[in-house]
Amino acid sequence: MAVKYIFALIAAILVTGTVGESCQNPQVEASSFTSLDATVVTQIAYITEFTLKCDNAVPENYVLYAEVDGKPLSAARIGESKYQVSWAEEPAKARSGVHEVRILDEEGWASLRRARRNDPAATIAPLLVIQLHHPGSYSGPWVNSEVLATAISVLVAYVALRNKSKILA
Amino acid sequence: MSGKGNKAFTKEEELLLQDFSRNVSTKSSALFYGNAFIVSAIPIWLFWRVHALEVGTSLAWFALVTSASTWLLALAYRNTKFQLKHRVAVRREDAVAREMSRKLADDKKMSRKEKDERILWKKNEVADYEATTYSIFYNNALFLTIVILSSFYLLRTFTPTVNYIVSLTAASGLLALLSTGTK
Repeated sequence: MAVKYIFALIAAILVTGTVGESCQNPQVEASSFTSLDATVVTQIAYITEFTLKCDNAVPENYVLYAEVDGKPLSAARIGESKYQVSWAEEPAKARSGVHEVRILDEEGWASLRRARRNDPAATIAPLLVIQLHHPGSYSGPWVNSEVLATAISVLVAYVALRNKSKILA
Repeated sequence: MSGKGNKAFTKEEELLLQDFSRNVSTKSSALFYGNAFIVSAIPIWLFWRVHALEVGTSLAWFALVTSASTWLLALAYRNTKFQLKHRVAVRREDAVAREMSRKLADDKKMSRKEKDERILWKKNEVADYEATTYSIFYNNALFLTIVILSSFYLLRTFTPTVNYIVSLTAASGLLALLSTGTK
């Protein structure tokens, strides 16, 4: 009997705990930035800032984690229910297109890590997903101007030499 | 054509001599030096803006190298022109003669000799003009190519000042040297 009560109590605590801690029906407003000019930087930065809105009240220090392309990150809290996720990549590895920023809360993060221990490819439904679009960065022209200048001048010099030998022939 | 006692050259002989001499007219010389100066000064921009050569401290080098390179390039122009002129004259001979004959055909008063002289003069003028312009083009093309190749690739690791001095003097010196060859 007592055992039954204790189970019920634990279950109730767990339920209220999860309900009280995790964000219900999360809505997000995100803005983002990515480096577009790779000629002057050594790393491409990706930054997304988002405001989280929940139906229920979340604790003051509600912690969020993020995962991008299998890379674990933590979301920095930068204001009242405002978070920022940022990371950097080598320009060669930075692919253009949409990067999915999967946001998880502490509980989701813990269960993800638990699942990963058994299966490294495991996924957990995230709290929310932010689509970060990176249009690709400019890493200079295809052909260096000095290479182009050399090619053109060599071509002109070749024409000049050929014509001269033709005249002298 | 000329009397045996007459020591002065006839007009035709003078033209022939002029045709075969290395001397160039003042106009042609001015063209050569002007062009050589412009082409020698252009790399200053390259070294200043691209190779980050300090302008203020290098003014003396600029003046020295530009003038040396101007002189060497003008020499190369002159020698190349001399090489080319005869061949150009040979190649243009028939066409010039035909054109001039047609032009002078109506003139009944002109003697045969004068017509020949006019043709010779025209031939000389055409060959001179073509050889001059081609010589300038040829040497400029080679000069700038050598400067670009040496400054960007061969002497890349040197300081800009050394790069500038060596690139320009090597390019103009090489062209002057090559132009003295017989072929």
